[in-house]
Amino acid sequence: MRDIVDISIVGAGPAGATAALVVGQTECRSLLIDEQRQAGGQVWRAKDRSILSAPATPESRSGDNLRERLAASGVSQMTDTRVWQIERQGEHWVIHTLRNGTAGRLYSRAVILATGAREEAQPVRGWTTPGVIGLAGATALFKQSIRLPGRASVVAGTGPLVFFVASEIRRLGGTVAAVVTPNTRADWLARLPSMMARPDLLWRGGRWVADLMLASVPIYWGHAVKSVSGDDRVIGVTLCRLATDGTPLPGDIGIAADSVCLGGGLAPSIEAAQLAGVAVRYRPDLGGWVSEAESDGSTAREGLFLAGDSCGIRGAVAAELHGQIVARTALRHIGQASASDPALERAYRRASRFGEAMTALSVLRADPIGLATPDTVVCRCESLTRRAIEDEIESGAVSSNAVKSGQRAGMGPCGGKYCQSSVARLIALQENRALSEIAPPTPRPPIRPVPVSALAGDFDYGDLPMPKPAPL
Amino acid sequence: MSENHDIAIIGGGIMGCAAALRLASGGMAPIVLDRGDLGQGASGVNAGTLSLQIKRVRLMPYALKGHEEWARMGDAVGFRRTGGYTLAFTEREAELLTERQTLKAEAGAPIEFVTNNQVLSAEPNLTRRVLAASYCHEDGYANSSLTGQYYRGRLREASVPYRERCAVTSITRDTQGFVLHTGGPPIKARRILLAAGAWLKPVAAMLGVDLPVNARINTVSVTERMPPLFATVIGHATGLLTMKQKGNGTILIGGGWQGRGTPQEGRGEVIADSLIPNLSLAQFALPKLGQARVLRSWTGFEANVPDFYPLAGELPGVPDAFVLGCVRGGYTIGPYIGRLMGDFILGHSPEMPLFNPGRDFEKDAT
Amino acid sequence: MIRLVPDHSARIQRSEKVPFTFDGVALMGCADENLAAALMQAGVLHLRNAPGDGAPRGAFCMMGLCQECVVFVDGQSVESCRLTVSPGLAVKSRR
Repeated sequence: MRDIVDISIVGAGPAGATAALVVGQTECRSLLIDEQRQAGGQVWRAKDRSILSAPATPESRSGDNLRERLAASGVSQMTDTRVWQIERQGEHWVIHTLRNGTAGRLYSRAVILATGAREEAQPVRGWTTPGVIGLAGATALFKQSIRLPGRASVVAGTGPLVFFVASEIRRLGGTVAAVVTPNTRADWLARLPSMMARPDLLWRGGRWVADLMLASVPIYWGHAVKSVSGDDRVIGVTLCRLATDGTPLPGDIGIAADSVCLGGGLAPSIEAAQLAGVAVRYRPDLGGWVSEAESDGSTAREGLFLAGDSCGIRGAVAAELHGQIVARTALRHIGQASASDPALERAYRRASRFGEAMTALSVLRADPIGLATPDTVVCRCESLTRRAIEDEIESGAVSSNAVKSGQRAGMGPCGGKYCQSSVARLIALQENRALSEIAPPTPRPPIRPVPVSALAGDFDYGDLPMPKPAPL
Repeated sequence: MSENHDIAIIGGGIMGCAAALRLASGGMAPIVLDRGDLGQGASGVNAGTLSLQIKRVRLMPYALKGHEEWARMGDAVGFRRTGGYTLAFTEREAELLTERQTLKAEAGAPIEFVTNNQVLSAEPNLTRRVLAASYCHEDGYANSSLTGQYYRGRLREASVPYRERCAVTSITRDTQGFVLHTGGPPIKARRILLAAGAWLKPVAAMLGVDLPVNARINTVSVTERMPPLFATVIGHATGLLTMKQKGNGTILIGGGWQGRGTPQEGRGEVIADSLIPNLSLAQFALPKLGQARVLRSWTGFEANVPDFYPLAGELPGVPDAFVLGCVRGGYTIGPYIGRLMGDFILGHSPEMPLFNPGRDFEKDAT
Repeated sequence: MIRLVPDHSARIQRSEKVPFTFDGVALMGCADENLAAALMQAGVLHLRNAPGDGAPRGAFCMMGLCQECVVFVDGQSVESCRLTVSPGLAVKSRR
């Protein structure tokens, strides 16, 4: 007999986990699924078991607190589980999972997708060199393994994340060779009014910057990494100053480093929702293409709800509140009485204002492709250069799908996550069109690569449901 | 403001583009319109198999000509003549293989039966459980992803205008011919060729014609790059598997397993209940496939009519309107039958007979 | 010098070191540590060669998306950022 869950929640970050806690207070059967070994998401990522003890941080405290609440709540968790496809079958959603090399399926009356965000990248010469990791990747390294990316790191990127990463490198005993951010001090001052909503976070960020200054770490405001040098490992970076419109100015600055943390802001993870049939719209202020959902999480697809950063980057605090709101919406959908809570919605709106201000700072001020030379690799999976993609566009491939078909940009193992924004930007530039007109490529399952053996499993040949052969 | 063309072709897939190129070389001024990008329908998302062993007996002469066309297109479309094996694993499949491949060989395909030792010495990574097999040295594949790029280049070269993301919403008549209404200015043409694949039914309905077109929703999957595991195109006696390893190491798996969705919704869904047996069958044939990770699965809409033979000729009851589509094995045969269609519209007698779209479909239906 | 952000490096306790290999080269790593982090710590950054230009590549996103850190364990490709170190783990690359 088929086991049917009332509400499945995909993603155990701030949005998904708090949604699960709300649902867990009711009689209804729920399940929280996450690809990490423990709940927490990227922002509250849990430590490896290799860490026997380490000083607590605000992130580790929030994460541990969340994990304790989940454990106490009795919410069923399915961790270390990847979701590779979501499909509607009759009255139910079917979530296809992959766990320990084995495929499984879960039937659910309602699904909350809380798939969070991925990091955008800005292609520059040498960004594929070993030793260059994402800014978000660096935070994963700190939170999970408490390791440094190298002995001397250049930390480059937008928004508050660049200062968090630099500060964590200092906290873990490493050396920050330089902080490089396209944001200027004026950009930050302009956001100050929205940031006043969270004086605690503002204070924390201020300490990071003050500490870096006391330690004489050079902070290059209004600059960007232009290239990374090194063959099989990083040996240094070249910076340039940016004009107010984001274009690079002459006058290169060279910095020696053995590692680079490079980020270009966060973008919503929309693939799972797209595969489930949810439309997307372009919201550069919220991180790019976002899934179309109401503020209460409901979508055009029955029984499918979205929570947190996947419907627009607003940060962890807002996501936690959004998860609670969306859980209530999902409960009402399956017939559980759950009144909406105006105080919660007010708190969410307040947190969103702060989060949206941070997102605005994180959206690359520099032209996201402007620093890529013609021979810069844009699609990492297929080693496609800017020139190859521009030639393809020139030959008439003027959609993301057409460039994908013609050049394989997006056909590699990452599925286009790390090149689609750049490709869209190149099409927009060459065709003089708005980015909002250049839709991302058609999403394809599996959401994550799946071994054939996991899908095929053990089977008897005679049991394969072979349809009628084709007409002769 | 509107434009005038000798013929408007609705559908920029292989057949529409091939017909346009023939028409242009014959002196007509065609325009190609597509609701999406060129070659992004079935022409661009099928598994790219060029196998005579899976063609219908009656279409074999067209398929043989089709192979010649693909060989001519060569590297630009990723054409490779690798040879191909069709495998049977059970007694019933062996019977099916013998019966079907014999008829196909009689129809002109250079298909031979081979022993399982011959199969294994050529393809040592295949399963030991092959009971019977056939081989065709003509078989191979092309890269269907390159269809759009290829025809965009050919149309540009031939100065044939094309419009992408240009959906025709209605068609009216005037004294000169047809007026095609789109989001932009209307497009006028003396003649019209419907080559819209799985979208033929709604397009023909704009001219008041009800074509009995259905869509199959074929699933295709591709793996990450793998070390070389096999060199030929591998098929199955039932036709429910096609598998090839590309030069870049990725393995493409098809076989016509059905997904869900309709062309009208514009969205085909991969369903696990089809994907899993498709991949299981592939892994059975090639056990080492188990270690490969699937990166992408997708569906393509393949148009057909109840008798599974092509529509290629005049649109019944509408003077100066033509239709081309629903060709089983349309990727292989498309470039050739597109050319035949061009000849027909130019008033030449095509090299091989076309297929009357006004026929009684139930009569020949199997 | 005044530090507003304290140095915590001396206060981190880790599990015992266990042996594992990368392309046959003996390495040591903390048991149960994330493999991508352990490789980085051991100075192994170059995990694969890119298709096409054959250029060296290493871990990038650290969250299972970019596939740059893919290695082979028992013949199966896996993201090293989603594996952990265990005694005797034999990691292979296609460098």
